[in-house]
This record gives sequence, C-alpha cells and structure tokens, in this order.
Amino acid sequence: MLAFEATWSLMTPEIVLGALAMLVFTIDFMTGIHEKKPFIGRLSIFSLLVTAVLVLVMNPQGGQIGDTFLVDPFAMVFKLIILVGVALVIMMSMNYLDRNEDIYQGEYYSILLFTALGAMIMVSSADLITLFIGLEIVSISSYALAGFKKHNIDSTEASIKYIVLGGTASAFILFGMSYLYGLTGTTSLYEIGAAMPELFADYTVMIMISLLFMLGGFGFKVSMVPFHMWAPDVYYGAPTPVTAFLATVSKLAAFGIIIRVFTLGFESIYAEWAFIVATIAAITMIVGNFIALTQQDVKRLMAYSGIAQAGYILVPIATVLNNFSITVIIFYSVAYIMMTLGAFSIITLVSEQSGRKTGMDTFAGLYQRSPYMAVAMAIFLLSLAGLPFTAGFIGKANIFLLAINGNMLWLAIIMIVTSIISFYYYFGVIKQMFMAEPKPNAEEIKVPGGIQAVVTVTLAGTVLLGILPNLLLDLFTGFNWMI
Amino acid sequence: MMGNILLWLIVVPLVGALLILTIPREYTNVIRSLAGLTAAVALVLSLVLWGMFDRGAAGMQFYEQLEWFTLGFMQVNFEIGADGLSVPLIALTTIVTLFSIVASFTIEHRVKEFYVWTLVLLTGMLGVFVALDMFLFFLFFELTLIPMFFLIGIWGGKMREYASFKFLIYTGLGSGIMFITFIVIYVQAALVSFPDPMSFSIVELTEAYTEGAAAGAVGGAMKGGMFLALFTAFAIKLPVFPFHTWLPNAHVEAPTAASMILAGVLLKMGGYGLIRVGFGIMPDQAARFATLIAVLGVINIIYGALLALVQTDLKALVAYSSISHMGIVLLGIASITEAGMQGAIFQLVSHGFISALLFFMVGAIYSRTKTRTISEMGGLSHSVPVLAGFMLAAAMASLGLPGMSGFVSELMAFIGIFGAPAEILPQAVTLGVIAVVGIIFTAAYLLWAMQRTTFGPPKEKYAGLVDAKPMEYVPMVGLLAFTILIGVYPFILSDVINTTVIDLVSKIGG
Repeated sequence: MLAFEATWSLMTPEIVLGALAMLVFTIDFMTGIHEKKPFIGRLSIFSLLVTAVLVLVMNPQGGQIGDTFLVDPFAMVFKLIILVGVALVIMMSMNYLDRNEDIYQGEYYSILLFTALGAMIMVSSADLITLFIGLEIVSISSYALAGFKKHNIDSTEASIKYIVLGGTASAFILFGMSYLYGLTGTTSLYEIGAAMPELFADYTVMIMISLLFMLGGFGFKVSMVPFHMWAPDVYYGAPTPVTAFLATVSKLAAFGIIIRVFTLGFESIYAEWAFIVATIAAITMIVGNFIALTQQDVKRLMAYSGIAQAGYILVPIATVLNNFSITVIIFYSVAYIMMTLGAFSIITLVSEQSGRKTGMDTFAGLYQRSPYMAVAMAIFLLSLAGLPFTAGFIGKANIFLLAINGNMLWLAIIMIVTSIISFYYYFGVIKQMFMAEPKPNAEEIKVPGGIQAVVTVTLAGTVLLGILPNLLLDLFTGFNWMI
Repeated sequence: MMGNILLWLIVVPLVGALLILTIPREYTNVIRSLAGLTAAVALVLSLVLWGMFDRGAAGMQFYEQLEWFTLGFMQVNFEIGADGLSVPLIALTTIVTLFSIVASFTIEHRVKEFYVWTLVLLTGMLGVFVALDMFLFFLFFELTLIPMFFLIGIWGGKMREYASFKFLIYTGLGSGIMFITFIVIYVQAALVSFPDPMSFSIVELTEAYTEGAAAGAVGGAMKGGMFLALFTAFAIKLPVFPFHTWLPNAHVEAPTAASMILAGVLLKMGGYGLIRVGFGIMPDQAARFATLIAVLGVINIIYGALLALVQTDLKALVAYSSISHMGIVLLGIASITEAGMQGAIFQLVSHGFISALLFFMVGAIYSRTKTRTISEMGGLSHSVPVLAGFMLAAAMASLGLPGMSGFVSELMAFIGIFGAPAEILPQAVTLGVIAVVGIIFTAAYLLWAMQRTTFGPPKEKYAGLVDAKPMEYVPMVGLLAFTILIGVYPFILSDVINTTVIDLVSKIGG
C-alpha cells in the first residue's frame, strides 16, 4: 500500500458535510417518509452553513493531500459558491415541496446535500480519479433529482434523458482520461502537466483526442454546444428548484473542473486548444442566444439562456489562463449564480401559482400581481442580458476587456452581438410582466418566506456587485488562485 | 464632492424617482407635482450651472474624480465634469424634460411608473452629458435605453411593442459597438502607456491620443477603424442614414412626452458623443473622414426631407424632419471650422427645443382630432386658433425662419461648410450647395403640411374642439420662448460654447 503523510484536516468541511448528510438521511428514515418536513430542510441549510463556515476559517494557503486533493483559494471560493448556491436552492424548494405532495421531502434534501459534497470534491481535486468520483456523485444525484416528481411524465422523461446522455458524457470523460493514463502512467494532474510538453510532441493526436473527449464530457455538464441538447428537455421536465440547481451549482462546479484540468494538465499546450475552445464558445453563444429567441416556455428559455451564459464563461478560458482570467471567471460565476437563482426562484413561484405551467404567458401582468417580484425579476433579467448597474454587466465587461486585451476581438464581437440579440428574449419576459394584462383567472401571488428570502438576497447581491464591484474584485485580485 | 453641482444634477432626479416610489399609486396628483418639482429643481440647478460656468476657460470645469473600481490593470473612475459642449445640452435636457413632464399631466394610465421612468431617464441623460469616464459614459448611455423602452412599450400607440423592441435592438446594437470600441481605444492606449496605469478617463485618453504616447504609437489603420466604429455607434443614435429606420417607428408610437424627450434630448446624445469622444480623442481621423461625414450629412438632409414630404401621418413627418435636421449637425461637424462646429452645437440645442415643441403640438392636436392623418385635418386655424398658431410658429422655427434658433444654427453650419479648409474637405462648396438646395425641401414639406392642416376651410367635425388649455400653454410658450431667445440673441448660447469650440477645432486643424 502506498503510504503518505496526509493532512486529513484539509477535508474537514467535506467530512462534516458528509456526516451531516447521513444524519439528515437517517432522521428522515426515522420520521416516516410521507410527511412534510420543514425541519429537515432547515437542518440541511444549517449543515451547509456550518460547512461554509468551516471552509471560510481554513487557511487560504491551504495545502494538499498527496497530490489528489487541493485546498487553495480557487477551491475555497468555488466551495463557498456551491454551498451558498445549494442553500439557496433548498430555501426556494421548501415551499415547492410542501405544495407537491408526490415528493418525498427527506430524500430530496439529503440528495441535495450529497450533490454539494460531490461538487466540493470536484473543485478540490487534482487527480483524475478524485475528480471523477466527485463528478459522479453530483451526476447520479442530479439524475435522481431531475426525476423527483415521479408521477409526472415530463419529470420522468427528463430523468431518463439525463441518465442516458449523462452516462455517455461520463464515458467520454473516462475515455479521454484513459488515454492520458495510458501515456503517462499516472492519474495526477500535476504529473500529467509536467509530462505534457514532451508527450504532446510525441503523441500529438492521442493527446488531442484525450483533450477533446474530456472537453466534450465536461462540456455536457456546462451545456456547451454541441453537447447541450439535453438541457432544454431536462430543464423543462425537472422540478423547477432542481432546474435552478442544474443551471447553477452543477454547471459552475463543472466549470471549476474544466479550469482545473486545463490549467494543471494542459496549460503548456495552451496554443493548441485555445482556438478550439474559442470556436466552441462562439458557437455556444450563437446557438444559445438564437434558439432562445423562439422559446415560448420560460424554463426552456432559461435553458437556452444558460447555454449562452456558458458560452460567455468559456470566452476567458479560451483567451488566456492566468490568475487574472480566473478572477474574471469567478466574478462572473458569482454574478451568474445570483441572477440565475433569483430568476428561478421567481419562476418557481409564478409557475406554482399559475397552475404549474411555465409558458411565457404565466408571467403576464406579474407587475400587477406582485410588483416586488416583477421588479426583481426584471433586474435579474437585465443582469443576465448584461445591462448597466447590475453584476452581470460588470462580469461581462470584464470578459470583454480580457478578450480584447488578449487579441480575441472577433470573439468579443460575437459576444456583444449575441448579447444584444439576447435583449430580445429577456425583454420579451419583461414585456409580459409589465406590459401585458394579467389573465382574468390569475391567482393572487402569495410569496412564501423562503422565496422572499432568496429573491432578496440574490437581488441585493446582483445590484450591489453592479454598483460596487470592487467589494469582490479587490478581494479576488489579492488571491493567488491555484497552488 | 458634495458641493459639486453636477453630482446634484444626477442625484436629484434619482431621489425624485425614489420618493415617487414610496407614494401610493392612487395619489396621482401628488405624484405629478412631485415629478414636476423634481424636474424643476434639476432645471434650476442647470441654470445655476449655466451662471457659474466660466466662459473664458477651456477644459473641464466642476471636475470631480473618485476611484470606483479596478480590474487588473484597468481603473474605472467616477469622473464628471462639464465644458462648453455639455453645459448647453444639460440645460436643454432639464428644460425639455420639465416641459414634457408638464405635457404628460394628462396621462391617466399607470401614472406612478410613468414618472419614475421619466425621472430615471433624466438621470441617464444628464449622466451622459457629465460623465468623463468612458465606462461611466457608457453606463449612463445604456441606462437611457431601459426607461425609454418602457415609455414607448407601455404608453405608446397601437404598434408600441414592435416600436419599443425595434428601438431596443437598434440602439442596443449601437451601444454594443460603442462599448467594444471604447475598450479597444482604452486597451490600445494602455498597452502603449504600460507600465504606467491608464484610466478610462476621456480627458486622459484625449491627451494620450492627441499629444501623448498613443498619438504616434497606434497605427493609422487601427485608428481609422476605431473612429469609423465610434461613428457608426453614434450614428445609430443621431440617427444617420442608413441607420435611421428605428426612429420613425419609435417617434410615431411613443407617447407625446416620450417623443419630446426622444427627439429633444436622446438624439443629441449621439451628436454629443461624436464630438466629445470621436472628435475629441481622434481629431486627425475626424479630418480624414470629413468628406464621408459631410456626404452622409447631405444625404440625411435631403433624404429625410424627401421622406417627410411624402408622409401622410403628421407625427411621422415630424420624425423624418428630425433626420433631416440632424444632417445639419453632421455637416457642421465635418466642416471642421469654428463656425461649423458652433453651428452643429447650436443645431443640437435648437432642434431640441423645436422638435420637442413640434411633437407637443402634434400630440395636443391629436388628442382633439383623434387623427394624425394630414389629409383628414384642415382648417384647424378656425377651430383651434391658438394651437394652430403655435404649430405654425414651430414649423417656421423648424424651417429656419430668421429670428428663430433654427436659422442661426443653419446659417452657422453653412458658413462653416463654405469656409471649410480645402485640404480637409475638397468638395466643400459642392456639398454645401446641395445641402442648401435640400433646405428648400424642408420649407416645402413644412409649408405644405401646414397648409393642409391649419389652413383651408373649417371642417364641420372639428367645430366643437376646445382650444389650448392653461396647462398646455406652459410647454408651448416655454419652448417657443427659448427658440426665439436663441434666434434673436444667439450670443447667450455662443458665449458659453465659444471657448470650447475654439479649443476643439484648433486640435483638429493642427
């Protein structure tokens, strides 16, 4: 057996979260599975917050466990994003679960906790095996979550589609990894990275195949074109809070490992793949934004919008991989998770109180039904569209700056043109909310506390970071992201 | 900082908007008065600014710079200031907005939101005219987009949704081009000045590109591309042929008050940006493309006028006349003479008042006749003599009757174009002559339209119409008074802009 000095304390947050998730699971069994269980929801949020505190108090210079598990600022910030993201998803789910009696609440919460655990392992991993384990924890949990409304045919369809395609994506990743392992005899990203320049000279084709397969597999998770086909159907069929989870935490964690793998493993052959990623980014932005124009369903619209947003995040990766571009990506990720979770919590609210439909017209006259929610939704959409005084704008502006500075003017132009095209569909929702009259039989909107809280928190973040972005930027600029 | 009047100008409308948000929507009269009061305070501030402004000094006054945020090597500041170019436009903005708020007191539908959006729009417009950081400039430029989208989309005419989306996408595209160009301009300069930090400051960039390190280091092709991209961005807003197609839709569908602001102020942001950023930062490129700009100006004048001639809708006619009049701005700018540049700025201000007045008149008449079709009107001078009289006066001002502001600005622009240096604009005289001929079309469409609407035998169906109400006198008399004031005493305006213009033109000529 391989024996190494391991500072297992670096995994404290993961271990604690795992234990708490088990606890939630056990309590759920002991209290009967059919009940409404708000206390389990609260316990789950508590678990996530405890874990977040544990992450926060760790030494940012961190360290590593035998080249497989890293704690560095990159991992820590991503973990915080993940934990807060999952906590917000749970908050927005609580009322949803109470209204949907066919969902077993306890399982739902514990599975979400496990996804958070998996995502944390993903962003901390520096080894292909660790990475894959984290990824599969998230994936398998997500398949289950997508099908959680098991008597609903759309939800079941979403789950099946997601399993089949997601399994294929995992196979892609494993296939790509197997080439790397075959050529280097190691699964450590550090060692792979060290051997890369020489390997690439000798086995150019095999390395490129490996890289492309891994990119495709990870790209599936972030819904980049052409691996995006699952997103609209799964987003549409899955319970709305689960859709929010898939669009944010799952996607960002996958971005985390793309950055990790490409930085540690493939940075030395950057020139070989930058153009490929740039092309994919361009196609992703174009396809996402153009198909979104034709959508009549808000959840599908958000799926295509999410595809387009993935394209924006790919731009800095394609431009340059350094400390600065990681700052840009992480800032955008924070902005993205806030505006997207905010938007999805309002979609959850509106669709639940409009007969569980998610057509564009459910938003008709929302301003009359609930002014605060309509204004908040408008701000989230403006932020997604990248209009001023929102976090989304600053994030996009940073990406532009990076692209232009990195001589990727064409990519910046595609980004801005597609962003302007996106005005059309984002403002289409705004038009419904402010210009259309509510349907005659529309219920009065009652805003449950959980959704109110999520909307308020994400709205404050979206606006605050739009006006005072240096709150985060100054902090991030001081970080040396990766060790 | 707190003593900076420009800062107050931006903050006051925002505070007004927030106050209105706290008032329950049933209290429409309170909301209306509060909106009017806010705009009046802004107007007073802009007049104080007008008085305090030092006429003799070139460069920025009331200057203020605060660090905002940094990203890597990039520093974005909250930087504001005003010179002889921005002060008249600030005054124009507050005046037109106040009158448009008064003009919209008749609106009964969703009153609260209407004024919130109008005041947010006011903040955005004032912000554009005071911002000296390109990033900030862009933010305010974009900020005007959202309220105008709602103003057209909620309170507009039958095709309001189509018009609002067309407005959004077109001007959004302009903003997109602008933003990319700004960043390219910035990055080029920052690369040259590296490792010294560079901010987004227009003042600093102007210096870098005219005298500093970037002047020689950035290649001619690159500069040419940047200038043309900037020109396109502002040309969409101004608008310049062939980017004008959003304007007729937006103007025709917008409610009267929004049309007034749209034609009166928003178009001017295009002209302002062109002079401030395009000509300010790259004067050599302005000289290089002077012929192109002048030709487009002439096309605008003639094409706009010809289209106005065939309009059947009175509001559309006024909208196309705006296109035609913005051609004069281009012509004046392209001449690169002091007179021409002054004419261009005069035209920005003068057209602001005249077009706002024309749109108000069209709105006032429409509210009575319930039609804007020219052929269905006629004999209005019998049924509503006061309104018809003011409309006639506005039309006269628009076609450049001496004694009114339109005449002064056109005259100066033409003096400019005929005196343009031959090495910059070799075809100046030819273009000038064509443009003068184009002005005849202006007289033609306006006089013909007036003949068909105000004159002629009185129509039976318009017999019982109520003439101007007291509240309507406020915008009518006010806007007309400013038009005449500038017309008979142009010194009041030229006094403010003169030093800045001399400074600007000396850089282009040199």
